[in-house]
Amino acid sequence: MAEEKMLYFDNAATTWPKPETVYQAVDKALRSGGSPGRSEHATSLAAERLVFNSRERVSSFLGIEDPASLIFTLNATDSLNMAIKGVLEEGDHVIITPFEHNSVLRPLNSLVRDGKISVTELPLTSAGIVDLEALPSLIRDNTRMVISTHASNVTGQIMPVAEIGTLCKQKGIYFLVDAAQTAGVYPVKIRDLNADLLVFAGHKGLLGPQGVGGLYIDKNVKIKPWREGGTGSRSEEEFQPELLPDYLEAGTMNVPGIAGLEAGVKFIEEVSLEKIRSHEIKLAGMLRQGLKNIPGVRIFGPSSCADGVAVVSFEIDQVDSGNIGFILEEVYGILCRTGLHCAPKAHNCIGTYPRGTIRLSPGYFTTEEDVNYVLKAVKEIAEEAQ
Amino acid sequence: MEINKDKLCYFTFPTTYYALLGEKILKRNGMIFKMTPLPRSISSNCGTALRCSPADKDNVQEMLTAAGVIIESCHILEESKGVGLFSLLKR
Repeated sequence: MAEEKMLYFDNAATTWPKPETVYQAVDKALRSGGSPGRSEHATSLAAERLVFNSRERVSSFLGIEDPASLIFTLNATDSLNMAIKGVLEEGDHVIITPFEHNSVLRPLNSLVRDGKISVTELPLTSAGIVDLEALPSLIRDNTRMVISTHASNVTGQIMPVAEIGTLCKQKGIYFLVDAAQTAGVYPVKIRDLNADLLVFAGHKGLLGPQGVGGLYIDKNVKIKPWREGGTGSRSEEEFQPELLPDYLEAGTMNVPGIAGLEAGVKFIEEVSLEKIRSHEIKLAGMLRQGLKNIPGVRIFGPSSCADGVAVVSFEIDQVDSGNIGFILEEVYGILCRTGLHCAPKAHNCIGTYPRGTIRLSPGYFTTEEDVNYVLKAVKEIAEEAQ
Repeated sequence: MEINKDKLCYFTFPTTYYALLGEKILKRNGMIFKMTPLPRSISSNCGTALRCSPADKDNVQEMLTAAGVIIESCHILEESKGVGLFSLLKR
């Protein structure tokens, strides 16, 4: 019999609940009306100001010096498509890590299938982490871009992005960082990462609503828009105006989402990123420790939670992860993610392809009591599976 | 400073982003100005312009440029030469 309670352990997919101020900001923006940058009346300008303020706050939070180089998008996938398809040209070579999400793999795969680009994967060390020392030998004359997720959405492992960025800078290669799993829960500063392009989701660690994401583009990056249309600026021109941010922001923007994103970032600033990370890492540590003591449970990912974000992947005696997830929800009211988590190659790395893992991702609003309840539930299921 | 009723100065920008960045800079500097629709006598383009007194033109231009605001153009319009409906605002 399902219990009344519902415990949300799927914050790596989308954070929930949101801070109360995020709900309020979305509601207020939606009621305010106005199309940003389109008409010139009061509500239109008010909408534009919401976008402007959000752009400034998010930029400051991520250490972006020029807010015009921050593009609002639909989500991290949209940003990645924009970066990959807008920058890469025929004949280019790309290097990726084996932990990339399908939002990186699929756009690249279609370009490879069409014979336009080639892709090489970084190997792993015996410890199962990205082999940084192998990177220089993989670079070719036509290597245009290196792409790395900042943290794996399967294991939570932080990648050596700063080191990769430094090497890319030395070699004059664009470095694209997918910060979907880190922005808002782990320090992300453009300068520290040496990133030329950085992608984030608004609805995950940044605590905003779904339907908004972002792309940072360094001034040196040559990019073509993959979405063109109305920008509200230079309407008489036949082609897309080339000035950022309009260049890559065709179409009416998601003002309520962007306003909600600003409220999410403001919440993080007020609470402090350090406090949020410390809380989440403590919970992830409790999960790891507790799961380790349950017979039949195998945990994946970094040995120390300090090397990762609050994502804990595990399996029970190789039982289908989907079945475990179903029982966790039906019997215990625990919501988590099971399967491949849109990152099939990562499962090759940890040996769980194709069965996948059960992923628990606590958030800022998760409590220690919630974690203890989950551990009790997993223990009961594991005993049943013996 | 009272805005001159006969002549008005308009700054235009390539995107609304820079118009609003200009607004922020001028507010911070305590300038008297107004965000207005772009007069069609300047351009058929849709967009937001920043209007101030012609006496402040150089000062405003300097502040905006120093802050990295990209200015597309600057116009001083006389009411009789096409300010048109905007003259209603000044009554």
